Amino acid sequence: MISWSVLLNWLFQTGVAFIATIAFAIIFHTPRKEYVFAGITGGAGWLVYLASMGFGADTVIASFFASVALAWLSRIFSFARREPVTIFLICGIFPIVPGAGIYYTGYHFFMSDNSLALSKGLETIKIAIAIALGIGIVLSLPRFFFTLRRTTACKKGASS
Amino acid sequence: MSDNNSILELSFAMGETLLVNGAEISRVQETMERVAKSFHADAFNVYVISNAIFANGVENGVKHTTQLKHFPNTAIHFGRISAVNQLSREIAAGKHSVKESFRILENIKGLPYSPLPLAVLACGVGSAAFSYLFGGSPFDALTAFLCGLVLELYLHFTSTHSLSKFLTNLSASAFVTLCSVLLVLCGLGNNIDKVIIGSIIRLVPGVALTTSIRDFFNGDYLSGTIRMIDAVLVGGCIAVGVGVVIRLMSIITGGMPL
Repeated sequence: MISWSVLLNWLFQTGVAFIATIAFAIIFHTPRKEYVFAGITGGAGWLVYLASMGFGADTVIASFFASVALAWLSRIFSFARREPVTIFLICGIFPIVPGAGIYYTGYHFFMSDNSLALSKGLETIKIAIAIALGIGIVLSLPRFFFTLRRTTACKKGASS
Repeated sequence: MSDNNSILELSFAMGETLLVNGAEISRVQETMERVAKSFHADAFNVYVISNAIFANGVENGVKHTTQLKHFPNTAIHFGRISAVNQLSREIAAGKHSVKESFRILENIKGLPYSPLPLAVLACGVGSAAFSYLFGGSPFDALTAFLCGLVLELYLHFTSTHSLSKFLTNLSASAFVTLCSVLLVLCGLGNNIDKVIIGSIIRLVPGVALTTSIRDFFNGDYLSGTIRMIDAVLVGGCIAVGVGVVIRLMSIITGGMPL
């Protein structure tokens, strides 16, 4: 099964993703009191991504699970903190956005390695679709999945 | 502005603030409708797309207001979205008069951006972290950190000179790739691909992609399409910018494996 060193590595990477997400929260001028929650969202997304990869999923499937996890967490935080989902979701999504895919597509395309460029380009699009599906499904779920406490809070349309 | 007492003006100004700062369509629409309804406007209709608001309403029985406006470019500011969200919830709870709301909205519009040194540092840290996450060594992360610092400064420079979005992304990705290649050639960092991946993450269209998805799933297909095209174009620009520079550098350095 999973050894301790792998687990420690995952935890460390989650910490790095946490910091990275907070960096993006700063860039997008998120309110200061939400930094930590945005960071947790991003870290959790990356942890799920790593875990899925660790259990043998490929990049696309892992991206799907990660986006489901972080969209779920964003909605929970959005209700708990009474903030728009967008704040947590967009900051947290950055670790799984296919930046590497874009890079390799451009790289192989201009190095005239057409088949690799095509396959990387397709993979990038697949990841984008996986993220879209993950987020879309979670955001379309009815509210009662996400209310941790007090059900009266969501009557005011505490943003969704 | 403070003596303005029009419900529709208020609703419109709030919608504008949301849209300009990067909120998704359904939030803009819902907020505007909620405000108009809370203050009992006689009738109110609004249609929002990703860069325009079309609204009309009846106020005090006779007054018809129709407005439309075009917002050329948007900069993300979640602080303002969050604040408008808070304000609209308080209005729905009946806590503010129209005048008060206008005053609060003016304050919200004046919410400052993160100071430049902080933004630069954040961009550097973000780049370093992503370089590490995508498999780079700590040494690569350091190089990506430097590239991130330079990139945010460059982006600040282009935004003050109002460069077009297309050109900004193209030039910024080329610029940051050039920095990475030069730094790696100087001996800083060992995996050039990891350094570049970390450095360009600031440019990757994560916001456009996410907002586009949200618009699609809310049924705002037009705005979703516009933003999806935006995301694809920006992604393409980055790929071209990176690719061209790498190709050029590999020619200059005589086929050195980059």
